[in-house]
Amino acid sequence: MDFRKLIAGAALALGVALPATASSQTLNVMRVLDSFTYDPQRATAAAASEIAFLLGDTLVALDFDMKTIKPLLAKSWKVSDDGKTYTFDLRDDVTFCSGKKMTADDVVYTFNRMLDTEVKKPSRQKMGKVKAIRATGPHQLVYELEEPYNELLYTLTLMHGTVLNKENVETLGKDFGVKGFDGTGPFCWQSWTPRNEMTIVRHDAYKWGPPIYDNRGPAKVEKIVWKIVPEDASRMAAILSGQGDLTYAVPLWSVAELRKSPNVQVIAPKNYFRTCFIGNKITRDLMKDLAVRQAMNLAINREQIAKQIFFGNALPAPAYLHPDTPDFATATQNTPLGKYNPAEAKKLLDAAGWKPGADGVRVKDGVRLNPVLYILNTGSNPQVATAVQGFLRDIGIDLKIEAFDATAYFTKIATQEFDMFQLCNPYASAGDVLNVYWRSQNRPIPNRMNWIDADTDAWLDAGLQASDPKVRAENYAKVQDRIVANALWIPLVHDTVFMAANKKVKNAKPHAIFTSLLYKGLDVSF
Amino acid sequence: MSASEVTAAQPVAPPRSGVLRRLMADRAATLAATLLAVLVGAAVLAPLIAPYDPYAIDLGKAMRTPDAEHWLGTDATGRDLLSRVLYGMRLTLTMGVSSVAIGGIIGAAIGVLAAFYRRLDGPVMRLIDMLLAFPAILIGLAAAALFGPGLAAVIFALIFATVPDVARIARGAAVSVAGQEYLEAGRAVGLSDVVLLWRYLALNCASTIFVFLTLRFGQVILIGSALGFLGLGAQPPTAELGMMAAEGRSMLFLAPHIVTVPCLFIFLIVLAANVVGDALRDVLDPRLVA
Repeated sequence: MDFRKLIAGAALALGVALPATASSQTLNVMRVLDSFTYDPQRATAAAASEIAFLLGDTLVALDFDMKTIKPLLAKSWKVSDDGKTYTFDLRDDVTFCSGKKMTADDVVYTFNRMLDTEVKKPSRQKMGKVKAIRATGPHQLVYELEEPYNELLYTLTLMHGTVLNKENVETLGKDFGVKGFDGTGPFCWQSWTPRNEMTIVRHDAYKWGPPIYDNRGPAKVEKIVWKIVPEDASRMAAILSGQGDLTYAVPLWSVAELRKSPNVQVIAPKNYFRTCFIGNKITRDLMKDLAVRQAMNLAINREQIAKQIFFGNALPAPAYLHPDTPDFATATQNTPLGKYNPAEAKKLLDAAGWKPGADGVRVKDGVRLNPVLYILNTGSNPQVATAVQGFLRDIGIDLKIEAFDATAYFTKIATQEFDMFQLCNPYASAGDVLNVYWRSQNRPIPNRMNWIDADTDAWLDAGLQASDPKVRAENYAKVQDRIVANALWIPLVHDTVFMAANKKVKNAKPHAIFTSLLYKGLDVSF
Repeated sequence: MSASEVTAAQPVAPPRSGVLRRLMADRAATLAATLLAVLVGAAVLAPLIAPYDPYAIDLGKAMRTPDAEHWLGTDATGRDLLSRVLYGMRLTLTMGVSSVAIGGIIGAAIGVLAAFYRRLDGPVMRLIDMLLAFPAILIGLAAAALFGPGLAAVIFALIFATVPDVARIARGAAVSVAGQEYLEAGRAVGLSDVVLLWRYLALNCASTIFVFLTLRFGQVILIGSALGFLGLGAQPPTAELGMMAAEGRSMLFLAPHIVTVPCLFIFLIVLAANVVGDALRDVLDPRLVA
């Protein structure tokens, strides 16, 4: 079947409702999800960060290698010998979109707002154990910690580290990030219609871009229009027909065919780590049983999922992290739980007293083994869940799937009413993901597994405070060993993300930071 | 002898006699009835005739196009589509029959009672008018919010959507029957309301209501499938035609058969039900017979 002809016909039939390109310098980007806010301290989703990185700047930037820290609003920084004090020298030529000059007071205000406990800030823990943050001059900032925190510079490159304009935040109040956002980024807020369209325009005064781009500013395109196009086929039709310029919500089934198109470029970011997994809420009655969790891990044929559902664009995931992740515990790659072994899974369940009932579903003390899995109903999630359901059925587990759209899903998985949940999580290092998911204090979210373990907390602290990379890696390896042995997740695959763009779009080199592939977008041109 | 004289000389069959014979005389109706019977039979016998377990995944055979091994191909997780369609039809048909039967009985009772007891007529029919304003899909969404997604929610929505339509039809038919002299005669000889309602009113409206329900059956299947498509009906891995179409939607360009097969069966069921319903109306409606 000629995929391109079919999809081109579909473009006409579907009448993809994208605006005609208003100007040759307007970049039309299509995406699937919107954020509920663009306040970078309240939002956590990639849907927010992909725009927050364009509207605002952080003190430091992350290079394309996802390791090297580069200057951005801070032109230089020093770390004290004890690792507790960071001194940042800020640029003195930075202005917000409103024209106001940025000073150290704005940065202090930003970070103190982040630490303020009145409003929930999901990423607060990423600020470390702060003793004090103070301005020591109009363009100098001191960030003091109670204990060393070797992830600080990396976490300051993320969305929550975006420097805010104090006056703008206070003027807009609760509407900050909803009705406006005055940032120092390469683009400025123009308009937002939730779940429909976001328009941002070039910040003409911008000249302080990070030295990872050839162009330090201003941006080459005049305007970026972000349009929500939820249907996969519609987005692909728009890319092929030229109605849309770029998307990084590329369905995996279309990757091979898009690559054949003479008008489309498909690029994957380097050093992008994302793991798709099913989390087990171990405080639920069915999930308390370690044998059940281990059996479920053994029942999943990850190779088949990677090959058939992800079309070979993913690696099977026996462990919880991609093998190239900094501080990955290589021993976990060979865990027996990561190998497809349904016979062993059945033995484990038999030994634990879960016996097959009349309909093949296992029962113990009158309780059926029928856990409830919550999933997000987008992308390949439903197919993955159906496959997992089929594999578990083979060992006598009757998995119940409940699917939700993005507007409801994250609220639903913040509750205690489900046994398992499905997510795909991007990360840059072992510390990045381990400190988020496995700290006891992070229950019930993001530690949705409800894992409480003093050893894990101690190892995470030791890893974060280590000045020696070897010590850090050793501690993080202990955490990985512990959580894998307890089968707290069912890791499925390490997938990747693709950017598809019309070939008239030049220099759209994707960045792997938090699935925000355009990042600063400074080099992108037509 | 002229053609009109020949026609006039032939005896006119009473409206209710030879329904099956006259139905069989309509070739389209015969074909549709046969098709419907085959589909219903296949659905009933699904556990015996399905070639594979409809829930058994085989990722190695995912998205296979129809071939000798899998006559209708496989879905995105390698499940046999023929087996899933056979099981899916069981649910789809059960959903249609149960909602039409229950909604029909409730709606007919309301309509006939409103026609018989004139004091009830105004308030009851205004309430029915209000219910008619709610689209079935909206009722389905509300039911799913109340009970959670599932077949119960869909059947509730379909019953809820069927009742006011049937009540309107039943009331209209019953009002015309209620004006007949034999009803007055029955009342004059002292027959109870129950007898009058059942023997004189309900049975005389039965053919009208039945014809409407056969036509309604096709619509109910479509609405039910739409609710399944929206994820409000049967939940995975249960096979249901609307949900199967939704599952195949994301693979429309890569494996169009996954969405085409269940849609084709929905089309066949609805088409057959509509043609049979139409033909039944032709043979049961005294005005059309005359």
